[in-house]
Amino acid sequence: MSTDDESFHPLGNEWEGELESMLDDTEYDSQLGMDMARDAMRVTEGELSEAEFHEKYHDDVMEEFGEDERPTKEAYEKAQEETKGTVSRMLDKFDGDGEQTRREAMKKMGVGAAAVGVGAWGTVDDGPEASVAEGGHGGGTETHEHPDTQWGMTIDLERCDGCLTCMTACQQENDLDQGVNWMYVMAWEDRNHSSPDGGQGLVDSGAYTDFNMGSDFNMLVRPCQHCTDAPCEKVCPTTARHTRDKDGIVLTDYDVCIGCRYCQVACPYGVNYFQWEDPSVEYEDIDGLENPEDPDEITHAEYEHGERWVDSRAPRGVMSKCTFCPSMQDGKQGDDMVGTTACESACPPNAIQFGDVNDEKSDSYQHREHPVKSRAVAHLSGDHISSNRYVPGPETVNETLSESDDIESAIAALDAANESRTFDEEVLSMMKAIDIVSERLEPGDNKNTTMIQNERTILESLDAIEGYVDLESEDALDTLNLDDGSEESARFQLQQYVGNPSSFNLLDHIGTNPNVTYLGAEPGSDAYQVEGPTKYEDAGLLDRRQEKLDNETVGHIDGVSL
Amino acid sequence: MSTKEPTEADILRPINTLTKKYFVLYGIATLALLVFLAGWAYQLQEGLVVTGLGDWGSGGGSTWGLYIGAFIWWVGVAHGGIILSAAVRLLGMDRYMPIARLAEMTTIGGLSAAGFYILVHMGRPDRMVTSVIGHYHITVNNSPLVWDVTVITAYFVLSATYLGLTLRYDVSRLRDQLPDRFEPIYKIMTLGYTKQEDEIIERMVWWLAAAVIIMAPLLLHGGVIPWLFALLPAMPAWTGGIQGPMFLSIALMSAIGGVTIISYAFRRAYDWDHIITDDIFRGLLLWLGFFTLLFLWFQLQFVLNGVFLGPNAKAVSAEAKLAHPLYQGAMFLIFSTLVYIFLQTIRPSLFSKKRALLASGIILTGTLTEKVLFVVEGFKHPVFDIYANTPGTYFPSLIEWASLAGTAGLVALLFLNLSKLVPVVELHAVEHMRGDHAHGDEATEPEVEA
Ligand code: SF4
Ligand code: SF4
Repeated sequence: MSTDDESFHPLGNEWEGELESMLDDTEYDSQLGMDMARDAMRVTEGELSEAEFHEKYHDDVMEEFGEDERPTKEAYEKAQEETKGTVSRMLDKFDGDGEQTRREAMKKMGVGAAAVGVGAWGTVDDGPEASVAEGGHGGGTETHEHPDTQWGMTIDLERCDGCLTCMTACQQENDLDQGVNWMYVMAWEDRNHSSPDGGQGLVDSGAYTDFNMGSDFNMLVRPCQHCTDAPCEKVCPTTARHTRDKDGIVLTDYDVCIGCRYCQVACPYGVNYFQWEDPSVEYEDIDGLENPEDPDEITHAEYEHGERWVDSRAPRGVMSKCTFCPSMQDGKQGDDMVGTTACESACPPNAIQFGDVNDEKSDSYQHREHPVKSRAVAHLSGDHISSNRYVPGPETVNETLSESDDIESAIAALDAANESRTFDEEVLSMMKAIDIVSERLEPGDNKNTTMIQNERTILESLDAIEGYVDLESEDALDTLNLDDGSEESARFQLQQYVGNPSSFNLLDHIGTNPNVTYLGAEPGSDAYQVEGPTKYEDAGLLDRRQEKLDNETVGHIDGVSL
Repeated sequence: MSTKEPTEADILRPINTLTKKYFVLYGIATLALLVFLAGWAYQLQEGLVVTGLGDWGSGGGSTWGLYIGAFIWWVGVAHGGIILSAAVRLLGMDRYMPIARLAEMTTIGGLSAAGFYILVHMGRPDRMVTSVIGHYHITVNNSPLVWDVTVITAYFVLSATYLGLTLRYDVSRLRDQLPDRFEPIYKIMTLGYTKQEDEIIERMVWWLAAAVIIMAPLLLHGGVIPWLFALLPAMPAWTGGIQGPMFLSIALMSAIGGVTIISYAFRRAYDWDHIITDDIFRGLLLWLGFFTLLFLWFQLQFVLNGVFLGPNAKAVSAEAKLAHPLYQGAMFLIFSTLVYIFLQTIRPSLFSKKRALLASGIILTGTLTEKVLFVVEGFKHPVFDIYANTPGTYFPSLIEWASLAGTAGLVALLFLNLSKLVPVVELHAVEHMRGDHAHGDEATEPEVEA
């Protein structure tokens, strides 16, 4: 490394001089190239932000190359939150057309600057893996721009009761073979987390607490994580495994895959299932949507340039895994289904929240960022099987209450208004607490905002109640256990009911950047699967697929293994 | 040692004779290949479900198995072969000149077997061309599997060129004594040949050899092939920088073992005692010992680095590997062979060609076992080791076993056919042994007392 202060490049003055003369030979402005290269180095070293870099060179780049479709500063800062910057990617942004490669962008900047860019890239302090990852974006991904929409999930493991309904729903939606468990739910234990004694069947034995845990088991719900830096995609020799540009979901093109199974080997989570034999449901027997005779309707997803066969069970000899239901995201199953998945819709306790992870109004975002409030909302709005409480609608409130009611009599009246369900102080307290902590976001026309809509319904009821009873008075707050009515006390009160889960991503240290976030306890490195509340076979599922595959193995000997 | 002078007639003998044994061998090799081809046809018809493979994770199987293990093993044999031959040329190890061409042919054979395994392993081999080549410009940026195919292809081209160039010299000089029925082939091979090119070709071959030697650790079995595994952070049994050297040592062990066996066969069949001398076998055995020592050292590195790391995924996988009876068996055999090799250097009377043959056989079995285990072990102890069904079970099906015989048959057929077409010992070697040429020093190779 050079210690020469004058030179911006680690290789020193001489190198820089050489670059300059190389740049002189290109058709573009060499001074601009050198300046940009110099500042690009500063960005790598953290002296300059990417947004500043682009601000500074926008006009020059326009003039010189006649195109600059970089995002605006705000979009930039947002994107920056998502990824760490590297010079090469910054150079990319000068290149609006997603089809063009980084190489071409660099060519525009002149050979010299490109060399500097690569040099700088090598010095970024995030190791060789990051460099590989950078290259990876050019891989199966259609382009390497960040998609506007990024579908993902927030899964509340403490609401999961291990009923396996999502697994069955997925199998039915996609006509999967026995043992092809794209969605997989398991109970686990580790050094710090144990399961209740007695094993199976605890759902009926009162494992539910009122507001909180789905079951006493430690659950893990494991769909494909639809990683932003998906190792499966990087290793694919054919680009069959790719990220769909428009919404960031990771899919397999069944028409391109050669069945090398490298993706299955590279995925750290073990979510891939190969089609070892002919699938049990014939292609012709897959029901299309409007036209049941046309399976293509449901098996093919929409792309910028036509359709690709990426959905439903795979044909023989290719790889399959959880798809995040592209036929729903494409609106082929109706507008209502956009922003939902089969497993999400099926989950009785609403443990799975699917949505655009970047959109603050989406369910997955809300549940991830405001888990306490969201849990309370989910609980008060769902038809959770063992919670018998209810939130009266505004009409019921108006019919039931009068000006003369005080808080006690109002609660009693609303409780009496529904014969089979309970309304009590706790429900009202939660409603008020939600009100205090809520930002009262409007759902607008965003997709997948059930959480905010449900919150609004609850708050409408609360507003109706507050039309009759003052819930802000000291006495009322006292009755509702809301102390001084501050946000802090409201949050504290909600936590008493629903807990305050920590969130985590599975195997965060591996650098896959998953788009599934979990709430609840994270399995430790010594965690192992145990029998859960529901047996796989009781739900009509096959757990260990090998049992089935072994039947067809030529010369299989039972119990012999390498 | 024989005092017979090697002659042109000697190296032409395989071409100009036809024995019953040849036919028997040919028959066996063909049969082995056909049996496997039938198995493969069945696999194509039914799907890969006929193998013992399955899904790792909740499925309780192993995604890759014997096919991939044997694939890397054959690539190793091939890479080792070409390195051997390049070393002979580059380092002036003239003593081994008589087996240099056998080593090159081993490379061609090994690469053919490996390429075949790629097809056999695929779920949709019919799409290899459209899917892989069609997206090559994108995938070559990231997929180690694509690098792999690239490098293997490059090596095939390099080795074939190498072999082709050196054959021109021989064929043009021995043309009169070669059978006329292959006339067109010889014509093509010696197209445009003139004596003046000899010197240029010699220089080209030298540079090719230099390229092979330099690329071997960086790109071939020391690089791209181990990267196929070593770059996956989720499978601790595969990761780590030691895999490169380990793979390279295995490649060289297997190649030396393979070349020893093939040389032995040719010497016996054609009375080549004076061409492929005892001295060559002693030398090969010593080199085998040297690379075996390196291999065991790398294994020790891997295991120690794992086992003493404390309770994490890497330690779990290292411990599991160490505890595997097949692994222990393979290491024991390899270690015993090493002990024998060193003992026979101290006490030359312990050497015999049969023992050298046996040692080679053991090493080949040992490395193949290690390779298959290496592949399967990866799935058994991933970082995400939570599934009750992991480690899963895997035992190769009959079709997978048959693939070993089939590819061995394929390589044997290649030798049987080539030996009828062109001399498998270079004319240069014969000339050299007769003292027709001046030659360089032999300081770089281990001295073995005859
Ligand atoms: S979890 Fe990530 S690495 Fe695994 S298949 Fe899904 S996207 Fe690929
Ligand atoms: S199995 Fe298919 S999707 Fe997976 S890496 Fe191979 S070609 Fe790509």
